[in-house]
Amino acid sequence: MLGVLAIGAVAAASLGVGVWGVRFARTTSDLFVASRAVSPWWNAAAISGEYLSAASFLGIAGLTVKFGAAALWLPLGFAGGYLALLLFVAAPLRRFGSYTIPDFVEARLDSGPLRSLAAFVVLLIGSLYLVPQLKGAGLTLGEVLGTPFWVGVVAVAALVALNVGLGGMRGVTYVQAFQYWVKAFAISLPAFLLLLHLGGLPERAALFGQELPRAPRAGLVVELEDPVTVTFPRATDFALDGAPASARAGEEVRLPEGRLTLPGGAAVPVAEGIEAQTGEDWSRPAGGEGRGSPLAIYSLLLATFLGTMGLPHILVRFYTAPDGPAARRTTVRVLGLLGLFYVFPAVYGTLGRVLLPELQVTGETDLVVLRLPEAAWPGPMGDVLAAVVAAGAFAAFTSTASGLLVSLAGTVSYDVWGRVRRGARRTADRRTAFRVASAGAMVLPCVVALLARDVDISLLVSWAFAVAASTFCPVLLLGIWWDGLTAAGAGAGMVVGTVITTAMVAAGVAGGTVEADTSLLAQPAIVSVPAAFAVMVGVSLLRPRPVRGVEALMAALHAPEGVGLDEQRA
Amino acid sequence: MRPRPLPSEELRAGTAHSALYLRRLRRRQLGLSLLALVTLAGVVGSLPLVLYLAGDALAHSVLGVPLAAFVVAVPPFAFFVALGWLYARRADGVDADFQDLVDRP
Repeated sequence: MLGVLAIGAVAAASLGVGVWGVRFARTTSDLFVASRAVSPWWNAAAISGEYLSAASFLGIAGLTVKFGAAALWLPLGFAGGYLALLLFVAAPLRRFGSYTIPDFVEARLDSGPLRSLAAFVVLLIGSLYLVPQLKGAGLTLGEVLGTPFWVGVVAVAALVALNVGLGGMRGVTYVQAFQYWVKAFAISLPAFLLLLHLGGLPERAALFGQELPRAPRAGLVVELEDPVTVTFPRATDFALDGAPASARAGEEVRLPEGRLTLPGGAAVPVAEGIEAQTGEDWSRPAGGEGRGSPLAIYSLLLATFLGTMGLPHILVRFYTAPDGPAARRTTVRVLGLLGLFYVFPAVYGTLGRVLLPELQVTGETDLVVLRLPEAAWPGPMGDVLAAVVAAGAFAAFTSTASGLLVSLAGTVSYDVWGRVRRGARRTADRRTAFRVASAGAMVLPCVVALLARDVDISLLVSWAFAVAASTFCPVLLLGIWWDGLTAAGAGAGMVVGTVITTAMVAAGVAGGTVEADTSLLAQPAIVSVPAAFAVMVGVSLLRPRPVRGVEALMAALHAPEGVGLDEQRA
Repeated sequence: MRPRPLPSEELRAGTAHSALYLRRLRRRQLGLSLLALVTLAGVVGSLPLVLYLAGDALAHSVLGVPLAAFVVAVPPFAFFVALGWLYARRADGVDADFQDLVDRP
């Protein structure tokens, strides 16, 4: 009940802030880039609010329960991506003054077909990244309100489409700045209070020592809503719907739906895709095979470090800064705001491993953030904190979904619709197109989210990051810093990057669950990014065809404000 | 004889000089960014390998938290902000130098 109120309050406040923002959204420029007059702090909070998605709010803690400290490289890469943006992209791109990545590609490389290719990649990455947000919505609303999965997905999709269609980017900027603070508050406050309440980290031995996660002294009862295959790490006697049974150490057992009862102190069985780890293994960030192997870690860091700049909803934000130095200042603030947030998911993962062993049985580790408050602090206080956390999760997937939808709708209304109806250049027409597109662009991800309920959130997220890192990242870096990039080179590199990442992820999915030896397939960046760079540079060198006016384009990218070149900028 | 044009006029006219000024600016900015990148690679980029090779040496716990996990979970974020702040200051400085150069009569 409290959860309903909290989510309702955040939804109402978001709509309110959005409607308040609409009053400013009169021109096309307002709708797309908020008239470029947003202050660095507002902009930084909006960028962070947009970026902290369901994967950050729910996924990192869930992966920490599942894989241990090896999952902590993920937030590191997520935040580090903004450093790459700051060092190589933020100021030049702001000075260049395009609205979107397709705009940049067309202007910098003087090629219409390349623009269409870039628009296609925007739609691919954006839709891929929208699916896990909607999935998070279905999970969270299901957990808090008890609604079926599809209700949460459809309700949030509709709310986001409405908010974006009415407010455009200007409304969304304030909504997202607001939602950053909702999220930061919702993840930090319960973490602090729970740690205080528990008097620090409980049962340290079980956390970090030789121990496996164990059932509490009073025993553990797990309601299985679906059949699940689990592995028992130790020989265990258990009961299924009251009927006694036993398993040998290391035995794989298929449990039907029903009630599983484990005696107190028994090592809990783990679902498919989870490895039973002692505290010592679990708390080691690097080591062993699979996720902990340096190759997999570096591939993940590469994808997130370079992929962030290629996410379509991120770059468009830098056009809202008034000038180059403001874009830099904004990015530094973003690094601070993200760092503040990313310290906390590890707390939930660590406590969840001890206090919520049943999640290891069902494999639903993504629920750890939502369930932890009530498990750690039974009673009214736990309920209040659970409501706070649910509101934060709600803010997480709505804000990221809003940002994605702005860039998807921008791309659809301009590149798809604008091409079909060449005459539609008047402001009123474009605004209508943007509003129609923001509803239309939501349909496909929504359907996919409903169909692909069983696909892992983190798999879709790492796929989107890897595609971004091996398409837009090389285009941006080479386009900004190298005169010699040609349209043919950029196009070939983007195609190669997309094909390699997609093929590797598809091969990983087809090969069954992503286990130790196939984990690189789910983390393809270390192969696809160098390949995309090599193809872009190689093709550009083999058939050098300088872009017309490349000197002036480079001047527009790099010349500081106030040296007499400003009138050339949009 | 016509006096030498101001650098800002050359920029606007897109002369050979202006191309030279801009190329020099771009090279300085790129050098600065690469320096920051190398620093980042040295400090945070080496972490996975260091922890992989020296995992046992870092198995000690501080206040119940294993050192290796803590090293990944907290300090890199502060380092990101510090490095970003320093970089942004220097990059703005490079831009300002260029503006001074161009405006010098």
